Amino acid sequence: MLSLLAFPATGQRVSAEMNCTFTGTDFVYDCVIRLTPATPGVQISVGADMPSMPMAHNIRPVKAKPGKRPGEYHATLDLDMTGEWAVKLRLSGALRDLLVLHYEFTESGTAPRK
Amino acid sequence: MDEYALGVLTNIGLFSFVALSAYLLLLAGELSFGQQAFFGVGAYGAGIATAMLGLSLPLAILIAMLLGALAAALVGLPTLRLRGLYFAMATLAAAEMFRILFELLHWQVLVEGEPVGPDGTQGFRGIRWIFERGVEAEGFLAMVWTLLAAVLLLFFLVERSKLGATIRALGEDPALVGALGIDVDRFKLGIAAAAGALAALGGALFAHHNTYIEPRNFDIMLGVHSLAYALIGGLGTALGPLLGVVFDLGFLEASRVLQEYRMIVFGGLVALLLAWRPRGMLDERVVHWLKARFS
Amino acid sequence: MALLADLVQNTLDGIALGSTYALLALGFTLIFGVLRRANLAYGPAIMFGAYAATWASLNFQAGLLVLAVVAVSATVFAGAYVERLCFAPHRKGAAAAAMVASFALWMQLEELAMLAMPRHLYPFPALYEGGPLSLGPFSLRVEALAMLLAAIAVCLFLWKLLYATRFGIAVRAVIDDPRAAGLAGIDVPRIFMLVFALASAIGGIAGFLVAASQEQVTPMLGMWSTLKGMLAMMLGGLGSLPGAVLGGLALGLLEAHAHWFLGPQLRDFAAYLLLFALLALRPPWMNTRSAS
Repeated sequence: MLSLLAFPATGQRVSAEMNCTFTGTDFVYDCVIRLTPATPGVQISVGADMPSMPMAHNIRPVKAKPGKRPGEYHATLDLDMTGEWAVKLRLSGALRDLLVLHYEFTESGTAPRK
Repeated sequence: MDEYALGVLTNIGLFSFVALSAYLLLLAGELSFGQQAFFGVGAYGAGIATAMLGLSLPLAILIAMLLGALAAALVGLPTLRLRGLYFAMATLAAAEMFRILFELLHWQVLVEGEPVGPDGTQGFRGIRWIFERGVEAEGFLAMVWTLLAAVLLLFFLVERSKLGATIRALGEDPALVGALGIDVDRFKLGIAAAAGALAALGGALFAHHNTYIEPRNFDIMLGVHSLAYALIGGLGTALGPLLGVVFDLGFLEASRVLQEYRMIVFGGLVALLLAWRPRGMLDERVVHWLKARFS
Repeated sequence: MALLADLVQNTLDGIALGSTYALLALGFTLIFGVLRRANLAYGPAIMFGAYAATWASLNFQAGLLVLAVVAVSATVFAGAYVERLCFAPHRKGAAAAAMVASFALWMQLEELAMLAMPRHLYPFPALYEGGPLSLGPFSLRVEALAMLLAAIAVCLFLWKLLYATRFGIAVRAVIDDPRAAGLAGIDVPRIFMLVFALASAIGGIAGFLVAASQEQVTPMLGMWSTLKGMLAMMLGGLGSLPGAVLGGLALGLLEAHAHWFLGPQLRDFAAYLLLFALLALRPPWMNTRSAS
């Protein structure tokens, strides 16, 4: 754990985008996350809670697996229910940051909240 | 320690502040459904201070506490003569008004070319002071718990003092306190302001831990939860609310095995617990007994 | 002239909305009047009832009348559960504990309903398939009329019950002074239970009507019912049944007008501001009962 005391690249802001598909099992989603800019050496831990009741509905964070392309990660999220979730991407390693993205999870997939 | 456990421990610390805020008012005999408003005022205030005005976190926390105290006094002043459910509903109404004001707050400034600031229901992103300073999760946890320890120490000192006795007397018999020559109104207002500042402190830290806050974070759920923590943990000592928070957040996390039935089990446990101990786990009797045994 | 038309239309809408709030407030007030406690699990019990009816509708395609019965029964069942667990054990003092316990059961009931039916929205059969009625330039939804009629019917029923039956005399005696009522030989705990059931039944009716007129149920129904019911109850003066009805109607009218002229957020703000101002100023009608 102490080895992860890397210094963050201060001043460099990343953004992330996520696309999920519904696996058919309630309520498991396969998600692909893309970081911009695609920085190597970054680990992502994905958590989610419901904005309206964060205490009662949250999932245990999962570590995202790096995908084929740089900046791409895969994670499987097992949610309590459909609806709007605040997805928290905790970046560690080469970059330290916490990104919060809102998505509407439905039976067909996800769409960013607007 | 793994990142997740750090997160849980930090959350326990953060929510203890708002639970202690509700506890303080309970001691003075008032049920408040509205402490979440001051938690929110602290969060928005501190977030604006660091992310938009470029101030340091310690200064932001002080500003947040001041704003929390002011907001609490603003709510406390018209409601001084209210008791019981009337007071509780007034605090609920006030807290919801604050939440709606957060929803209506649109104020952003450009920071490094990006707009930063509260954007109504879209929330307030980019409160990244601790990330920009390279503060690690452990460091932040230590900061939260140090501040909490200081607050608890303050509570312990007050409980042993005349001030503490007066507060509890206010809860039991306000007429008596008045008869002792104390200006009950001024005193109550002071307690309310202190409770507001306490909740705001928690809110300021919460905003920086999450980097993102939105009005929904400060809704009635949080308010009633804080009250519940204080009551379940016990009104005998300031450790009571802390115990309540640990019971909820700790239980919630530990029982992922039960996963789906968490709330059902927890809700039932709480009702049963309160039926058995109406003033919480660490109520006055238990605390007296403990003190007698260990002194 | 257009302004007048808006005002009239809003008033019509407001009365309809207010009828729902009146029903909710009546339920809350019955419980408060008799037990001197606020029941935070009231809304969730209603949601439980509405969800039970939805479940029956989805699985058995039951007719509206059956669904109404299911909704009311389920609400009464949930209410009895809450009464036994939260209010029966805390007879003397410990009002805060009773209320927080009811909050715990709020969480529990909501979770139970959401576990059984986790989607964010479920369809509910419509109360009335046709369109709204036209009264000249104004429109009135038939569902709204039904709500108003239901509220009036419940009021009349309660009036009869409380003033023309022995049960009613007992209830009023308990409302006035539980200890004296007990000394006079009235089985006070039994009255508590029966009033709770009555309040739950009224809530169940309200829940069914809301689901049927909106043609959907969502998990927010629990919080919404509790909040609106308590707001209306307090506006009309805590513990007064006629006050509950007036408070409900007043809230409905305020919301309808505020929504039209100010938008949804300021509408809610206006309602809360009104309540806060009334509590701060404490006009005479608000002190009907001491609140613990």
